[in-house]
Amino acid sequence: MTKDKLQIKKLYALSSENKKFSFSLPLKHKIRIGKRDYEVKLKADEKLGTYILWKNRKYPVEIIRSRQNKYEILFNDISYTFSVETPFSLQRKKVLDSGRGKIEQEFIKAPMPGKIIDVLVREGATVLRGEPLIILEAMKMQNEILSPVNGIVVKVAARANTNVMKDDLLIEIKVA
Amino acid sequence: MKIKRILIANRGEIAIRIMKTAHLMAIETVVIKTAVEPNAMYLSSADAIYDNTEDVSEIPVFLDIEKLIGIAIKTEANAIHPGYGFLAENAYFAQKCIDNKIIFIGPSPDAIYKMGNKTIARKIALAGGIPMAMGSEGNIANEEEAIVIAEKIGYPVIIKAASGGGGRGMRIVRKTEEMGKMFIIASKEAEKAFNDPSVFVEKYIENPKHIEFQILGDTKGNVIHLGERECSIQRKHQKLLEEAPSCALSESLRKEMGTMAVQIAKAVDYHSAGTVEFLLDSDKNFYFMEMNTRIQVEHPVTEMITGVDLIEQQIRIANGEELKYKQSDIKLNGWAIECRINAEDVQAGFAPDPGKIESICMPTAPYIRVDTGVQTGSSIVASYDSMIAKLIVKGKDRKDAIKNCKMALDKVWIKGTKTTLPFFRLLMRHQKFQDGSFTTAFIEKDLDKYYFNSDYEEMLAAWLATKLFVEENLNDDSINVDFKHGKEMSPWLLNKRINQF
Repeated sequence: MTKDKLQIKKLYALSSENKKFSFSLPLKHKIRIGKRDYEVKLKADEKLGTYILWKNRKYPVEIIRSRQNKYEILFNDISYTFSVETPFSLQRKKVLDSGRGKIEQEFIKAPMPGKIIDVLVREGATVLRGEPLIILEAMKMQNEILSPVNGIVVKVAARANTNVMKDDLLIEIKVA
Repeated sequence: MKIKRILIANRGEIAIRIMKTAHLMAIETVVIKTAVEPNAMYLSSADAIYDNTEDVSEIPVFLDIEKLIGIAIKTEANAIHPGYGFLAENAYFAQKCIDNKIIFIGPSPDAIYKMGNKTIARKIALAGGIPMAMGSEGNIANEEEAIVIAEKIGYPVIIKAASGGGGRGMRIVRKTEEMGKMFIIASKEAEKAFNDPSVFVEKYIENPKHIEFQILGDTKGNVIHLGERECSIQRKHQKLLEEAPSCALSESLRKEMGTMAVQIAKAVDYHSAGTVEFLLDSDKNFYFMEMNTRIQVEHPVTEMITGVDLIEQQIRIANGEELKYKQSDIKLNGWAIECRINAEDVQAGFAPDPGKIESICMPTAPYIRVDTGVQTGSSIVASYDSMIAKLIVKGKDRKDAIKNCKMALDKVWIKGTKTTLPFFRLLMRHQKFQDGSFTTAFIEKDLDKYYFNSDYEEMLAAWLATKLFVEENLNDDSINVDFKHGKEMSPWLLNKRINQF
């Protein structure tokens, strides 16, 4: 343990939408709303699994993923991704983020296992955000996979009438 | 011949639903155990199980006509209930049952065929003076023909598969330039999904409500309706929430549409339970869309407000009994809402999220009914649909039903997969749902996000992330971090964490 950690007074949980939640250390099992503190309890039992008890209500919780300081939490059926930062790492992150340019390449991956019904774009095509790229059939549903960005299709890895696994690369788009 | 033993050619919640009524009627049931779901919940409520786990054929047994007939004969079942989906609307299957002296619990092969073919159904409805969207008289051969019709009736139009259903093989066309591409896509999709590339064109009704009527007919020619269901809350033509009755219908409109629905059923000598689907536009004009010749997923909402057991009626009708209800016996009492709790990720546009159900706990109350085929430890497998459970809630009126539903939703507990629950929590709070002004375009047009969470939920999740970080990174005795409460962490949670690192 480094000496730095001894001095940590606060931690910040940054959401994927850059919402910042700050918590003082030592971490209390209480959250302040207005002028009142409410107790937070992390519990588990055989029937319900893990849950958080808050204001007399139980909320199911699960950890979906965690890597280094990043956590994906499923809370009451909704997933949230946070990176937990110390005051120092937060400062460093700010500096790093400001120096980094925007993403240039977008990799469209299969969101679920299924069958490619149709590929609607070709290499070299200009696509707009929200434009359908691929029709993927999974669990009896045809799902359109939409372009998340404006750009140019640089690679089409998906082929109609083939099966894909989750996270297989389908299309690569150069962001305009 | 009376039904003594039913082979259920289906799985999941509907198999359980059928068995429940069969047992009340002292009829035995047989179900099929498959390699995909050898421990499925539906197996536990049957009198006999046919073990088909050794079967290595590529087509699922529930779609294999010859095999199903063989199983019925081997297990001495003298009737087959097809449930919904699979072979429920396959005329050839119904005929094969009859040929083998097995009672098919459903309509005649002739009625299934006529209503299953949308162009024939259109012709029957037209001949009967049933209001319909304007469109092509029969199937259309090519893009040019489609354009001629579209220009006559005006855009937008919808291309539909003649043998289609369940919302597949449909494409909306808004202008001539799109026709070529859409015609090919619709036709290709139809060929793939229904083995029949024929399509037809009709006027696309913008932002309608989906209203369907439940029908019961016997083999003596009596047909009644059991009121309507509103199923406008859909995504890509897949229903998510249904209710009965509909707040869009006045008593006189109900009577008018109900009469039309009965008339369509009579035109094909319909017997058994069936559903006539209409679109209702904002001026309260209604148009016949199609007839479903099976029990529907959403049948419980009708049962909740009429008190009629639709499966029981199907069995009695299949036995040749005369309907004991007359139209005047059917009274709509209260309001019922059904939420389809599916294993889907509402944060990823309702993408299927198959997986193992770690725990499931459904609320119980006199006004709640739960139809499910899964229990703790069950798996939602990618080979079938994503349904986990149907939560059906009743109230004395619509407002009361929404209130009860909102409460019930907060008591549903499902872990292991993501579900559509956060969507329903949003829906119950949405102005347009509450005031009833929603249409089939609601999800695509009126929502910018598909889920509800309270202000504090994200903060609590942030707290948990921070807590995990503290335990993983600052757990040194020399550091002044409070660890007492760490003991409350469950071994399960810890194990899971350890496994993931």
